[in-house]
Amino acid sequence: MKLNVDGLLVYFPYDYIYPEQFSYMLELKRALDAKGHCLLEMPSGTGKTTTLLSLIVAYMKAHPLDLTKLVYCSRTVPEIEKVMEELRKLMNYYEKEMGMEQNILGLALSSRKNLCIHPSVSKEREGKVVDGRCYSLTASFVRARHAADDAVPICEFYEGFDAHGKEFPLPPGVYNLDDLKEYGQTKRWCPYFLARHTITHANIVVYSYHYLLDPKIAEVVSKEISKSSVVVFDEAHNIDNVCIDSMSVKITKRLLDKCSNSITILETTISNMKENDSKRLEKEYKRLVEGLRDATIARETDMALVNPVLPSEILEEAVPGTIRTAEHFVAFLKRVVEYIKTRLRVQHVVQESPAGFLRDIHTKVCIDRKPLRFTAERLASLIRTLEISDLTDFSPLVTVSHFATLVSTYTKGFTIIIEPFEDRAPTVSNPILYFSCLDSSIAIKPVFNRFQTVVITSGTLSPLDMYPKILDFHPVIMTSFTMTLARPCILPMIVSKGNDQVAMSSRYETREDTAVIRNYGNLLVEVAAAVPDGIVCFFTSYLYLETIVSSWYDQGIIDQLQRHKLLFIETQDAAETSLALINYIKACDNGRGAVLLSVARGKVSEGIDFDHHLGRAVLMFGIPYVYTQSRILRARLEYLRDQFQIRENDFLTFDAMRHAAQCLGRCMRGKTDYGIMVLADKRFSRADKRSKLPKWIQEHLKDTNCNLSTEECVQICKRWLRQMAQPFSREDQLGISLLTLEQLQSEEMQKKIQQRAQGV
Amino acid sequence: MDDYQTCPKCKTTKYRNPAMVLMVNACGHALCESCVELLFAKGSGACPECKCPLRRNNFRVQLFEDPAVDKEVDIRKRILKEFNKRQEDFPTLREYNDYLEEVETIIFNLVFDIDPAGTNKMIDNYKKENKDITQKNRNRQSQEEMELEELLEAEKAQQSEKANLYVNAELEEKKQKHKAREKLIDELMFSDADAKSIVASHVQATAALAKEQPKAAAQPSSGVVKSSKFSSGVQIGLRGQHTNSFLPIPKQEDLPLHRYTAPVFDYDGPPPPAIEKLGKLNYFANIRAANITERAGGYTEAMSCCRALQEALGGLFYSPQLTHKTAVLATNSSTQDTDDMETT
Repeated sequence: MKLNVDGLLVYFPYDYIYPEQFSYMLELKRALDAKGHCLLEMPSGTGKTTTLLSLIVAYMKAHPLDLTKLVYCSRTVPEIEKVMEELRKLMNYYEKEMGMEQNILGLALSSRKNLCIHPSVSKEREGKVVDGRCYSLTASFVRARHAADDAVPICEFYEGFDAHGKEFPLPPGVYNLDDLKEYGQTKRWCPYFLARHTITHANIVVYSYHYLLDPKIAEVVSKEISKSSVVVFDEAHNIDNVCIDSMSVKITKRLLDKCSNSITILETTISNMKENDSKRLEKEYKRLVEGLRDATIARETDMALVNPVLPSEILEEAVPGTIRTAEHFVAFLKRVVEYIKTRLRVQHVVQESPAGFLRDIHTKVCIDRKPLRFTAERLASLIRTLEISDLTDFSPLVTVSHFATLVSTYTKGFTIIIEPFEDRAPTVSNPILYFSCLDSSIAIKPVFNRFQTVVITSGTLSPLDMYPKILDFHPVIMTSFTMTLARPCILPMIVSKGNDQVAMSSRYETREDTAVIRNYGNLLVEVAAAVPDGIVCFFTSYLYLETIVSSWYDQGIIDQLQRHKLLFIETQDAAETSLALINYIKACDNGRGAVLLSVARGKVSEGIDFDHHLGRAVLMFGIPYVYTQSRILRARLEYLRDQFQIRENDFLTFDAMRHAAQCLGRCMRGKTDYGIMVLADKRFSRADKRSKLPKWIQEHLKDTNCNLSTEECVQICKRWLRQMAQPFSREDQLGISLLTLEQLQSEEMQKKIQQRAQGV
Repeated sequence: MDDYQTCPKCKTTKYRNPAMVLMVNACGHALCESCVELLFAKGSGACPECKCPLRRNNFRVQLFEDPAVDKEVDIRKRILKEFNKRQEDFPTLREYNDYLEEVETIIFNLVFDIDPAGTNKMIDNYKKENKDITQKNRNRQSQEEMELEELLEAEKAQQSEKANLYVNAELEEKKQKHKAREKLIDELMFSDADAKSIVASHVQATAALAKEQPKAAAQPSSGVVKSSKFSSGVQIGLRGQHTNSFLPIPKQEDLPLHRYTAPVFDYDGPPPPAIEKLGKLNYFANIRAANITERAGGYTEAMSCCRALQEALGGLFYSPQLTHKTAVLATNSSTQDTDDMETT
């Protein structure tokens, strides 16, 4: 279908379009025109990906100078593959309509683990091991050694790419990970390096968040992406946490012990090298005297170790004299590690600012701020000079060096927390140093500054106004779209009391109350009796899940439940959980019906869709607040309050509600789907919680459904399910929630769309 | 975690004797506290490992896991007391870095006993040469340290201020809520109006209050937050996107080259006689002739005469319907000028 979006000709690869997709295009086009950032919320299952792709590709074709590249960031590999599929569909449609090959190159990039085709390296399971082995085959010094001595193994695919691949760009087309591998096999080129090389001139790049947000990786992979690109963060409701994680460091006692080991390795390697080949150390020394900039212009394969974000003026300066020679630097590292060890030997929790840490390290072991700032860079240089090919052993030391560099670079927005033991096991000594980033805007700031348009989109971004605050940017457009539906196919309800009128709540004071637990159990049993196929339940934490299940067992609720459906439980073990999931799906598929008990913020709540019969009802037991006693969270809340004027409670509620919305959204994956959403907590009915749900859920949450008891809830469910079970065909949707081109162009619909655009 | 720490002399471990404390002296070898008391009962003695003479007073509690680091830090502190030059004392960064490396080498040599004689000599030389700078620097904080101190102080100040602010704000809010509730109950008890309307108005009032609240909370804190702009509205630092505006001279835009066009006068009068003909027409008879000094400057009477004539004749054809203000002005000024001429 060819659409006219505000004067732009858009090729849309389907015969029908949802009205909200059209409004989404309108808003997105406005943001692209304004060259500003935008925040767009649209329910899952309404075709966000294909909408985004078709509009941006059309815009790129119409304004090839203003918009040169699309960088699409997704979270997981399956999601990346989904995006590539949509893109392929779109390009096929273009080809069919225009009758010629399209000059657009789109590719997916993932880690070496997913792209390696080396016969033995690709067998490895762990990402770090693959990276390390790849490095040991492709580093420049290894290849130089190979030139002298044929016995040194190298990777033939990388050699092939290096010899020929750079001159011949990838022909236009759409390449997902498998296509890249296949292309690499036929040409005998390394697909990973081919993809990384191609990023600079590809039109559409699809990869994971980390390639852009993690400064350690972004520096290497995404440095050369031009300013006139549009960056899309899909499923971005957790983007602030990703930003924070990418800048935080966690140091344990074991890590430090490993560091000491690797320092000894460094020492012996240096003394060996001094005896055999002192020239190389001298060469490095000379280079460092001149300045670091040259050191960073190294071969691409040597970039396995990189520095966290440094202001570029530091890079241009020379390395301070104290750590210029290799021996001095190793002694310096030793002091740093020993110092951190003494810091870990505390009896009570310590929290201090980076400035305090710097002063303490100066008085205790005489280390100035400046050499500390160069640690990461200097270590990378040393490892390169020493030609250590096995990098996996050095990752602890690299972590510590990143910590040293970060702590001396940023004095604001970070905090250091040293906990001698975990809160849950105060007798077991397990000291951990958390260097925690409090400001999510630090990591994402370069992205906002560099690219003309950044699109942040997800199914659940409500409340929208929080994101600009915590990410510290100014969006030109901030919109939440609802779902137009031909029938009310979601049924959100707030159940606040049991049949015995005891209020249901996961509040700290009442969560141990047997009456509350029993009421939760009765609710589940009655819903399970009324609802067919799959039911998914979310609890606030693993701990809470365990206590509830054990008391349900005592009260006989589990037995009652198993009369209706099979029961599966998510645990912290990923393998166990995936086994439970497989069996859950099996039980739903063959009609037996099943209940899955899982945890908000867990694996199930984040990445797994329960479409159609897999999730006919979602029950949210309690409000999923984070563990508020965590010191890192406390520090972050304080920082948000001081720096951005966000009140603690506001942030906590925001965070809880976005996770609740994420859980509820699991059961709705399209317009033909239908599902019940039960929010079982009295507090959900308060205005401050309710208003923070996404608009598309709020729309269907009627006032009459906000204060129900278990029995009322089940009555409503039954009536609604009977209505939903009626046959539902495309004709029912056409004209309301699904439009043909003519219907879209009709005046009435255009008017409606205009209204919708203004209303938000 | 330190269970495996062992005294090298008596082989006691931390595991067996949790009260054991290891001590180190200048040589960097550890001994447990009881061994120190036993071996150094006299106040001085030899290290059981390296046999170097030690004094009992110099024993300290071992701070780090590796006693060598303790030793190094000791030496470092001693050396840095003498070698305390700052970057400001050097003309270039390069020289400062060379100096730092030299210091590092000295410390390294002392720790690993490499060439002790030469190193000591170097230290002595340095001491002699740089006595005054060392003295001076001892009392001076380095710039880095000062920065850190400032930061720490600012943090402290901010913390206490914030704590007060938020505690007060919270208290205030609680009070107000309490008051509002009491007021509602009072009204419900004593007024004759419809209960529903009272409740409705109360809800409205609290909503209005809640709206005001965040503003009030944000305002005092905004004073504390460092402003990112100068009073002129220019952003501090280069964080703004329009870095161009920081150029001292605004960028010249490319314009077409300037081309001269002769100005057109709106004369409005009969043409005056040409300047060359003035002599012939005997106009000079009515004018003072230029004296020698005036002629030296290039002045001739013809010039002033010509100007007077132009001004006298200009604007004679002027009619008010046709022309505009400027013409009027021109004629006015010209008459004045001629007056001046006559007086001179």
